[in-house]
This record gives sequence, C-alpha cells and structure tokens, in this order.
Amino acid sequence: MRALVVYSHPCSESYNAAVLTKVTETLSGSGHEVRVRDLYRDGFNPVMSAEERRKYHDRGINEEPVREYLDDLLWCEMLVFVYPTWWFGLPAMLKGWFDRVWIPYVTFDIPGDDGGMGPRMQHVKKIAVVTTCGASWIVSKFVGEPGRKTILRGMRALVSRRCKTLYLAHYKMDTSTPESREAYLGKIQSRLANF
Amino acid sequence: MRVLVLFSHPVESSFGAGLHAQVLASLRKAGHEVDNCDLYAEDFDPRLTREERLGYHDLDTNQGSVQGYVDRLQKADALVIVTPVWNYGHPAILKGFFDRVFLPGVSFKMKDGKVAPCLHNIRKLTVVTTYGGTRQRAFLVGDPPRKIAKRVLRAIIWPFAPIKYLALYDLNRRTDSERAGFLAKVADEMEKF
Repeated sequence: MRALVVYSHPCSESYNAAVLTKVTETLSGSGHEVRVRDLYRDGFNPVMSAEERRKYHDRGINEEPVREYLDDLLWCEMLVFVYPTWWFGLPAMLKGWFDRVWIPYVTFDIPGDDGGMGPRMQHVKKIAVVTTCGASWIVSKFVGEPGRKTILRGMRALVSRRCKTLYLAHYKMDTSTPESREAYLGKIQSRLANF
Repeated sequence: MRVLVLFSHPVESSFGAGLHAQVLASLRKAGHEVDNCDLYAEDFDPRLTREERLGYHDLDTNQGSVQGYVDRLQKADALVIVTPVWNYGHPAILKGFFDRVFLPGVSFKMKDGKVAPCLHNIRKLTVVTTYGGTRQRAFLVGDPPRKIAKRVLRAIIWPFAPIKYLALYDLNRRTDSERAGFLAKVADEMEKF
C-alpha cells in the first residue's frame, strides 16, 4: 500500500523521532511504499491565512497554496500520524495541516441545501495514530481523548467507509523508562506490521 | 473583572469576527476591563519551537519567548474564547496558544511526574464558537473542542469557576435570523458576565 506518514515534532533527537524511524522501517519492511512528511523540517506554516480562508470555498483555487501536500493526500492509501499529544490534542503544527490541506471539493463536500457533508477521500483504507501522552491512560480516557477523536472520528468520516483504524499511545511519558520506551517501540513494530 | 478575550479567526468580515466584536462591546458595556488578544492580528506563531521544547520544563527560562502572553494570561480574572471549530478541533493558531503559553509554572506544575493545575486566577470561562457540522455529528465524533473547554480547561482554572459553552452548529446552513439570534444570545451572556 502507499503509506503517507505525517510527522510533527520539533526535535530531531526526541523519542518521537525514534518512533518515526520505527514506523517507517516497519512499514517498509511490510512492503508498503512509504512517503514521510516531516512538518517541522518542511517549515510548514499551520496558520490558515485570511486570503486562504476567503478562497476556502472556491473550487480549484483553494488547492493552490497547498498543492504539494494535497498530492500526498491523493496519492496515499494509508495515513499514519506520528506526534506527541500536547494538551490532549494534536500539536498546532499537525492541526494546521488538517486545517489547510483537507479542503472542500477535494477531501469533502460542504453541507449545503441539498444535503449533508460528503466524503471524498475513499481511496484511504487505513489510518493509524502513533503518539505519546504525558497523561495516564485513565486520565486520557476521562478527558475523552480529544486528539484521538479529531482524527479517528472527525477526519475518519471523510475516508473509505471500511477504513481500518489503529491507535497506539505511550502514556505517562514524563515518568517513562528506557524499558517502557523500548517496549513501546516493540509494540509499534508488531501492531503496525500486521495492520 | 479583567477579561482576556482570545480570538482566532483570520477574516474581518466573517461571522466569527462579528461575534468577536459583539463580545468586546458587551463586556465593555458591562464595565469589564477587556484585554483583546486577537491571535491573527497579533501574528501569533503557534509552533512550539525546538528551543522551547528543549527548555519546556525549566521554570526559570521557559516563559521567555512568550512572556507577554504569559503576563496577560496571569493578569486576567476571566477568559473568553471566541473561535470557529475547524475539523473538530480548534484552529492551529489557538491550539498553539495552549501549546506555547500554557507552560509548566503558568498553568500547571509538575510534582513527581504528576500535573498539578495552577491557573487559578481564571475564575470564569466562556467559549463562543461555531461549527460547520451539525450538533448530532459533533456529538458522534465526541465533540473534541467542547471537551477541551469542559474537561481540560476545567481542570486547570479555579475549581469553582463557572463555564459556559455557547455554540452554533451547522453554520453553513443557518439562516440570517438564526445567526442574529445566536449573536443576541452572546450579547446577553456577555452583558451579564
């Protein structure tokens, strides 16, 4: 499968960078064709400008500012997100990638008088989230995992109806140990290889 | 009260900008001191940088790059957030405000790897927001931005602070009179804030 990995962490020596390496190695090892988008390295600007917002509903024209990122999105059959969970949600960098790249007429149809929102990303058959959380599992569940829901329920509605999803998280990062981090990398490998 | 208004919509002629103007006018009319933080107008960069991430837990220096915003947040007695919901989350520019300004030592302290909230100067919170999706769809998705307000911010601010979440759903299909009705409701809530 063609797999797009979208990665968002500012530090190349971070644990998330090791997670990214494990993710890409595992996917390649399973025979997938992998493309990585490292949003920090790209210097991606997550802020949708006034100009872009004004033309957001203009079919075709709205594609221009994000053309290369749209190409990724139209190319892939699998989406894998690697990021740290900050404040129970996506880093602003990744949130802005959704805001700016998932535009109407390409990824979905705006609800209108003739009906509700229509998905247009049916070529995406799998979505995986691989993240790290400062909070514990129980606190994350209590809060309701806003970041997980933004992707695996909100954006999930725009892709194939039979899309498979996978959510992996290392909780309590602030008290993690070399063993727990290594175990998580092992879990990523086994779960993603069979995904 | 000293009210910090956080606003995040780029277009001056949008309904969101109309809500923002109404919030400012009604709060001032009610005699509050308003600190208008228009993230787009102030060209706020929501990207937590490499240096900020590396120094995140250093309480002596971590506020340096966002000191002005930290001061405004800590001086406020109340917070009003005016924002659209995009893709079942906050616009990046607002999410980044939490990422970069809600720092250890500002909104929480770390004690033995556990988070102890401390933004207790915020004694009242209201969110004024609009969704493209319907209320039903937002409910099925789990309404992430509502959870950020009602659970995450709830846990950080003063424990007894009242929270109001004023939302207009399905914005693309609302009539003029429905939008006007929502604007009037917002005005009313802000005048008795």
